[in-house]
Amino acid sequence: MPVVEAKQVTKTYTIGNREIRVLDNVSLSVQEGEFLVVEGSSGSGKTTLLSMLSGLDKPTSGRVFLKDQDITDTSEDDLAPLRNEFIGFVFQSFHLVPSLTALENVMFPAELKHDTEAFDKAAKLLKRVGLQKRIDNFPHQLSGGEMQRVAMCRAVINHPKIIFADEPTGNLDSENGQAVLELLLEFQKERKTTLVLVTHSLEIAKLADRMIILKDGRITAEN
Amino acid sequence: MQNSLLNRHFILRQIARSRRQVIVFILCVALSIVTLISLNGFSMSVYTSMLNDARTLHAADIIIQSNQDLSPAVIKAVARLENKNKIISARVWEFYSVVRNQNGQNSLLTKIKVVQPGYPFYGRVVLKSGRDFDAVLTPGSIVVAPALLERLQLRVGDGLRIGNTALTIADVVVQEPDQPVDFFQLGPRVFIAAEDLNKLGLVTKGSRVGYKCLIKALDKNNIRSITNQLSMAADEDQERVETSQVARSSVKRFFDNLLFDLSLICIFTLLLAGIGIQSTLAAFLKEKEKTIAVMKTVGATSQFITRHYIVILTMLGLSGTILGLFSGLLLQNALEFLFSGLLPKSVKLIISWEAVVEGLCIGILVVGLFSFIPLHRLKDIKPVSIFRKERIRFKMGLPIFLSAFLIFAFFVLLVLRQIKEIKAGLYFVLGVIVLIVVTSLLTALVLFVLKRLKIRSLIIRQALKGLFRPKNATKSIIITLTASLSVIFSIYLIEENLDAAFIQSYPSGAPNLFFLDIQPSQLERFSKTLGMPTEYYPIVRAKILSINGNKVDRKQQRRRRGDNLARTFNLTYRDYLLEDEVIVKGSSLHRSDWGDLQVSVMDTVAKIQSMKIGDRITFKIQGVPLQAKISSIRSRTRESIRPFFYFVFPPGTLQNAPQTIFTALRIEKDRVASLQTKIVETFPNVSAIDVTSTLSFFTNIMKKLSLIIRFFAGFSIVAGILIILSSVLATRFARIQEAVYYKILGARSRFVVKVFTLENMLLGLVSAALALIISQAGSWLICSQVFDIAYRPLVAKCALLIGGTVLLVVAVGLIPSISIMRKKPIVFLREQSQE
Repeated sequence: MPVVEAKQVTKTYTIGNREIRVLDNVSLSVQEGEFLVVEGSSGSGKTTLLSMLSGLDKPTSGRVFLKDQDITDTSEDDLAPLRNEFIGFVFQSFHLVPSLTALENVMFPAELKHDTEAFDKAAKLLKRVGLQKRIDNFPHQLSGGEMQRVAMCRAVINHPKIIFADEPTGNLDSENGQAVLELLLEFQKERKTTLVLVTHSLEIAKLADRMIILKDGRITAEN
Repeated sequence: MQNSLLNRHFILRQIARSRRQVIVFILCVALSIVTLISLNGFSMSVYTSMLNDARTLHAADIIIQSNQDLSPAVIKAVARLENKNKIISARVWEFYSVVRNQNGQNSLLTKIKVVQPGYPFYGRVVLKSGRDFDAVLTPGSIVVAPALLERLQLRVGDGLRIGNTALTIADVVVQEPDQPVDFFQLGPRVFIAAEDLNKLGLVTKGSRVGYKCLIKALDKNNIRSITNQLSMAADEDQERVETSQVARSSVKRFFDNLLFDLSLICIFTLLLAGIGIQSTLAAFLKEKEKTIAVMKTVGATSQFITRHYIVILTMLGLSGTILGLFSGLLLQNALEFLFSGLLPKSVKLIISWEAVVEGLCIGILVVGLFSFIPLHRLKDIKPVSIFRKERIRFKMGLPIFLSAFLIFAFFVLLVLRQIKEIKAGLYFVLGVIVLIVVTSLLTALVLFVLKRLKIRSLIIRQALKGLFRPKNATKSIIITLTASLSVIFSIYLIEENLDAAFIQSYPSGAPNLFFLDIQPSQLERFSKTLGMPTEYYPIVRAKILSINGNKVDRKQQRRRRGDNLARTFNLTYRDYLLEDEVIVKGSSLHRSDWGDLQVSVMDTVAKIQSMKIGDRITFKIQGVPLQAKISSIRSRTRESIRPFFYFVFPPGTLQNAPQTIFTALRIEKDRVASLQTKIVETFPNVSAIDVTSTLSFFTNIMKKLSLIIRFFAGFSIVAGILIILSSVLATRFARIQEAVYYKILGARSRFVVKVFTLENMLLGLVSAALALIISQAGSWLICSQVFDIAYRPLVAKCALLIGGTVLLVVAVGLIPSISIMRKKPIVFLREQSQE
């Protein structure tokens, strides 16, 4: 059963007088527990596809379904609880809230849904990724690898159905990148979470259940 | 780039890319000078008009004035000069008296002016009929203010009973030259011809009368020599001889005092706007850190960068100064409305170029001084900071301390220049320093506590976190808002407390009707007519000649703000303390073991010249010197409407001195008018003052002045508002980032709005609460120590003040945040990935 599905999704942007088609009639469905890698060169439309699937952006045409629910025309505010409940995000630039500590960043999605165990869950997750001594540090006091581990803990604290990871190792050195990837896959396997990972690393792509390759906004290969 | 002196495109782009911060900076500069320019321009207009019009304002070239009848020597000197055809003169007597209509049913306190023919020598008394004043004011006729006709329901042609006689109303006065503003008169004006003075029977020895002799010099070149001759003849202890150019009219005295207070507020606003300039500039330069680091990476020197930012600041500073100048000139015109009723009609508002140049110089100085520290710190931005994510640490050092010292020196010099009184100026500087230090300490304490609070609610916690967002000017905002609100709240609390103490809850036992100028020969009959027991206080009017043989310097004393020793005092005699008096120094009111003539002194007057027990004061009573030794110093246990006396002699000492008697009683409100009329009917020389209506008259004045002061103090709040705007702009990126992240993680827009609203609410709440604590403490101190009245904290009204402040801060903080909150997550993420 697909967790997320895109049907003939097209996305165009207008820059000046120029219309740029970033996604061109893309259809895709991702199954529960699947690890899907979206591969492609820079500007191929990988991040745009990920933002369509996660409901962060609306397609110019086509439909997007999340757990059978058509979210194409759903308002930002109605999507918010869906994102909180079903989706976890990991970004290349971490996107941690600068004014919150590591622990508070991880707790935040759980607190939004009034989870009374948010503190314990966050502390446990941070301990698991080896950051138990950094829980009171602010993002600017953490290294890139540490920030990405915090971001991962934040992505999984609500046991989402699907995690969207946009180049999660892109800003990290190989050692940290490897550690982060291993943790991400550990979480995915352990919780049977669907993982949609955008990368242009073929090394990572080899670990996936399935891979699609995007070129000029179209899926050119799938294996 | 390195080789060229300035890169025009770089300068323009730096300004264009931070348009909003630039606007706030310019507004801060404009704010720093706008009130000072408008006030200085306004006061120069007022004083220039008064000086140009000085003759009209005094209706003469030379004025001799006294609170006692003019001495024979000075009268002789005037007559001699008149005989020599050097001058012409006119005597004027001015006093309050209760007048009655013909049937004696209605009475009214009026301000009577008895004038000799020739008055006024300059200006015109404008009559409603358009006739000539001299032709109308003939013996038996009077000219009255319209308010008198209205309140006694009389018409021109009706009779009016004044003192022992009845006179006919001949016309209505529309304008008189030497009383340009009638806002300060307790009663409407009545003009009487000097020929009728004796018939009135109101001017006797000891009466409360202002005596004047107006002199017109027939040759203007002789004014100085005539003044000197008259000064030589005058009794310098009781008579003042001044030319119209130097004489201080009551209107000028009023403006001197009001403009003095407003000057202090303007300087306070300038200081807060200076903090705003520094805060805005720091935020502006913070935005440029990355650009500066990149420029340094490619080889730009610190001097090159600083040079460019100096040019940018000069452009912005000049724009702000010019905006401030124009706004100041516009505001100057608005002041005409604010001061309506208080300004003489002759005052014409002019553009004072002196004020304009002064404003320009102050603007440039303010920008230079307050910009130095942020500019100096540009050199601390290292090229390597493009790689580092930690914040740049700025070094303290001699230039920073020197800059702080220069700001302080500028502030002190500006205060001294503006208010021209070293002692008062230094007190003000000290007061401002204490206020800012206390505010800073309290702010630091509150922020320390808030940072460590463990809050369960997610929204409140996020809002609190927002206060400590990097680049947030939370501390500057709270300090500026608290300091300005403290001043405004204090003015409000003191005004309300005075109003509550004296007007709203007029003490139930306090006297509400005063009878003045009862002659000793009338006392028995007066007491019978009154028909109720009351205490009578003898009053002997006197001036102080010297203390311990040191002559009182009258000129210096008159320059004092507040009470002074140059004025006429009311002495009395008795051997007991009043119920609200207490001896603070000495064993008893008077010493039985002293053979010398002795006097008990009130502490408030003793403070003027540090008088102590055993000091000898020489008084002058009706020309006769009298020396007395201070036997005790008294104080009042509470400020009230009850009679009190600064100098109390033992019975027997002054019994034979010319004196009047005064009494104060409490009667039901609806009996006041009939009793007043009854007494005045029998004793026309007695003045009756209805204290409750007099107090409401003073309340109106107080409210008007308070409104003017609050209007000016309101500008200081604008400084706080500008810092909030600057802070919101400086943290725009961080706020968008937070809002976007909240939304990505599943928060609805409502959550973001709540967090931002609450953050601003906390900012407003903390500022208002701290301001309230400071103003409550300050107002309590002033009410209890200066006014000696019971202090009411006015909790409900204070809650409104806090509510109003919170609303203002929330509105100011949220409006520029609307676009931030509306930012779509994907747009922000895309922008970030493109960077």
